[in-house]
Amino acid sequence: MLICTDIWKIFGPTPEKAHAALAFQVAADKLSYPDHVVAVRGVSFEVKKGETFVVMGLSGSGKSTLVRCLTRLTEPTAGQILIEGQDVRRMNDEALRNLRRHKVSMVFQNFGLLPHRRVLDNVAYGLEVCGVDRRTRNDRAAQMIELVGLKGWESKYPRQLSGGMQQRVGLARALAVNPDILLFDEPFSALDPLIRREMQDELLRLQSTLHKTSVFITHDFPEALKIGDRIAIMKDGQFVQVGTPQELVLRPRDDYVRAFVKDAPRAKVLTAGAIMSRDLRGRAPNGRTVPSHAPLQALLPMLAEHDAPLTVLDGGTPAGVVDRAAVIRALVEEDVARATGA
Amino acid sequence: MATRSFALPILPRARSSRPWRIASVLALLAGAWLLSLLVPSLTDQFPAHWNLGLREAVDGFSRWVTSNRITSPIFVYFFDPLSTGIDAFVRLIENALLGAHWAVIIGITAIAGWLLGGWRLSLGCSLGFFLCGAMGLWTQTMQTLALMNVSVLFALLIGIPLGIACALSNRFDRVLRPILDAMQVMPAFVYLIPVVLFFGVARVPAVVATVIYAIPPAVRLTSLGIREVQPAAVEAARAFGSTRWQILRKVQLPLALPAIMAGVNQTIMMALGIVVIAAMVGAGGLGREVYLALQRLQVGRAFEAGLAIVVIAIVLDRLSEALSRIDLTQLPSRAAGRAPSWVAPLVIAGLTALCVIAFQDAFPGEWQLGLARPVDGLVRWTRDNLFFITRPLSDFITLYLLNPFRDLLRDIAPWPVMVVAVAAVGYFVSGWRLALGSAIGMFMLGWLGMWSQSMDTLSQVLVTTAITVVLALPVGILASQSDVVRRVLRPILDFLQTVPTFVFLVPVIMLFNVGRVPGIIASVLYAIPVGIRLTELGIRQVSPEAVEAAKAFGSTRAQLIVKVQLPLAKPAIALSVNQMIMMVLAMVVIAGMVGGAGLGLEAVIGLTRSETGIGISAGLCIVILAMILDRITQAWAARQR
Ligand SMILES: Nc1ncnc2c1ncn2[C@@H]1O[C@H](COP(=O)(O)OP(=O)(O)O)[C@@H](O)[C@H]1O
Ligand SMILES: [Mg+2]
Repeated sequence: MLICTDIWKIFGPTPEKAHAALAFQVAADKLSYPDHVVAVRGVSFEVKKGETFVVMGLSGSGKSTLVRCLTRLTEPTAGQILIEGQDVRRMNDEALRNLRRHKVSMVFQNFGLLPHRRVLDNVAYGLEVCGVDRRTRNDRAAQMIELVGLKGWESKYPRQLSGGMQQRVGLARALAVNPDILLFDEPFSALDPLIRREMQDELLRLQSTLHKTSVFITHDFPEALKIGDRIAIMKDGQFVQVGTPQELVLRPRDDYVRAFVKDAPRAKVLTAGAIMSRDLRGRAPNGRTVPSHAPLQALLPMLAEHDAPLTVLDGGTPAGVVDRAAVIRALVEEDVARATGA
Repeated sequence: MATRSFALPILPRARSSRPWRIASVLALLAGAWLLSLLVPSLTDQFPAHWNLGLREAVDGFSRWVTSNRITSPIFVYFFDPLSTGIDAFVRLIENALLGAHWAVIIGITAIAGWLLGGWRLSLGCSLGFFLCGAMGLWTQTMQTLALMNVSVLFALLIGIPLGIACALSNRFDRVLRPILDAMQVMPAFVYLIPVVLFFGVARVPAVVATVIYAIPPAVRLTSLGIREVQPAAVEAARAFGSTRWQILRKVQLPLALPAIMAGVNQTIMMALGIVVIAAMVGAGGLGREVYLALQRLQVGRAFEAGLAIVVIAIVLDRLSEALSRIDLTQLPSRAAGRAPSWVAPLVIAGLTALCVIAFQDAFPGEWQLGLARPVDGLVRWTRDNLFFITRPLSDFITLYLLNPFRDLLRDIAPWPVMVVAVAAVGYFVSGWRLALGSAIGMFMLGWLGMWSQSMDTLSQVLVTTAITVVLALPVGILASQSDVVRRVLRPILDFLQTVPTFVFLVPVIMLFNVGRVPGIIASVLYAIPVGIRLTELGIRQVSPEAVEAAKAFGSTRAQLIVKVQLPLAKPAIALSVNQMIMMVLAMVVIAGMVGGAGLGLEAVIGLTRSETGIGISAGLCIVILAMILDRITQAWAARQR
């Protein structure tokens, strides 16, 4: 669906020269090039259809630049971007406009709403620029506004709305053109923690029915864990590690990733399948079973009730067992992979 | 520069130290003086045979224009049709305004005022127009209004698209910006001369000159407004696949609208600012009234016409300002605050209809206010009773400030010394680039054959600026400290800023007679409001944290001002000095009209006697002086940061 290969973005007077030096020549091991900022440094990844791919990194790590490179809002210095097999960097202005109009929509950190337009006209903006007639686009916009729970606010202006509501408008605007791919650049970072959680749940609710292919940028690791099917950890323009939340928590590649993982809500992230022992001999024939993708927090009540181990089912057939000790170890140990030797 | 070679051999990369630089500049000055002692024939006066001959060339060109006006295709196919078109347009508007019943005009203004701002604005606007009629100036007011309307319309039609282009293209901006800068420092007189040359004397050159004068703010504010639209909004529009045109039309222009409207307001005010000057080349109306009354020293008449101009300025200012305050992002709350009601407009329309039925077309003569006579009396009284103040003041300025300073710059210091001195100032405030530029500028003054007039003008400008600064700074500081002073000052400054510069001249001449002093006083009056305002603003904008910290450590008021506010406000104050100097320069020609001598007088001669060559040379010299002083004070202001 979306395949990116070796993307670079260098800001400065002669980015091509800087790229050549950093990527191919003697200076390839160097981190910086005089007078230039290397915002994105040889990033490759693939996002499958319906998947939510999260890019997590601290401020200044190049996330916004990367996501803007995908539709060339920022022109990448090097690399290849394929969206449904089409090479974005080869597109002419017209094709690029059509990509932005129909295929890929974006939600911005600071909402990016047009302050002089009512909510309805903001949501309809994407349809308006493609020349959809007023009635059709207003109908569609009204549907989207209802979908994000803002019915009744259509003719307010953005500044009359709270931050969370403004971002709902941003979300509705992105959905209105029915894009195949959604790009989110830290959409909830500007919101208060409570509202942020509410918006995350809202997004998950929408995704559970819409299944849009998404690239989601955040600097908040818990948010990444909650939203992402897969997560890339970004640092100084590079991906440090890419994996499912569970993979990151179980096997952080280095201390940088480990530092984020440390406070992860392990009970929600880790699953029975990941910590089970494959030794089926201790299995109790008591019929207490759990599916392998069940998070540990779902196991806790059952284990609290009774001491006997649980049987883990993978596709209906027993694959392993978990007991109290294993779960407790998994919840407290920082590095389960090390502890279980898996 | 030679001055650097002293230090360079010893420490190749180090900057020459300050004492060294001062010493070398002094040496250069001494050298220049020595040279002038040795070769007096060369340095006594700027060598006449170095003259560039611009004056002769311009005069030759202007003779060509005069003799080819009827035959040359550029006139037949370009200037004449343009001229005819503009003239017809102005006449059309003028006839419409004059043909309408006076009550209808007042009624329309009242309704506009009500729609834009409410009943206060409505009442104010209609009273303003009524006052113009009551002073017996209805016809002239309408003539001026017609000229203004046409000029502002053209200025906007040209200025707004140029502003859009500037905002969208950096290259275009880079090309246009210096031109706009030059247009704003150039005294209107300077381009009035070529405009008259090409368009003759009548309404058309007045329109053309007004348009040129009023375009810059329209361009600047449009461009600024578009460039300052939140980047996030533009990026979002881009992300949804808008074309460049769609971004401009749907995002940038609507969001820049308040700034563009502020540009409209500024354009109107600029255009009103040269109403009197425009009258000198044949525009009728209020400007002509002021100009004629000024020539005949009829203070009362000039006062009335001047007052009418001020009234129109205030009315148009408030109306267009109300227009610019209509913020598209704020519409609903306005609507909620005041439901659109048609009662008031209907009442106004009804009153208007009554007036139309009850009175004849011309403004009723029996409502005359007759302000002229009391004003004349007042001025006569002051002249007869205040001479014991005005005479010594005038003598003091002339004998102890102007004359010695002029003699120093023009007669005592040989011209090479002046060139080196000005270059040295440029060198110390900025560097060798500015020194070189200033020196070349000074040479140009001589090459254009205007050395002694330029030095005369320079001395007047510097003295005037010094007086202005000495008066403006304390008042500005006072206004920054006391809200009472500020509130008292505000209407006075507002008034001074809207009065056309010529109007200052009338009472000043009555009190001080003609000569250099009335010009200086008028210039001080013209420049001082900006000086006071910027000083006050600079001090008030000093970060509240710093002030609070100083207070917390128990500073007295005086300590607070001297140790915290003034030092922190220094850049702003320096900038206000720059502005004051530029405004004084803008008055040079007007000062010249009342006996100010120097470049101003030459420019006036050039304009009124069709001595195009002299006029253009003098105008260029004013521009050169303006550029030198502007760059030097700007660089000095930048150093204060
Ligand atoms: N237009 C630009 N010009 C120069 N440097 C830029 C520009 N945009 C971003 N950068 C730099 O690129 C780096 C990455 O920025 P960004 O992508 O905004 O990071 P993030 O979104 O992760 O906070 C930063 O060091 C930033 O200063
Ligand atoms: Mg960012």
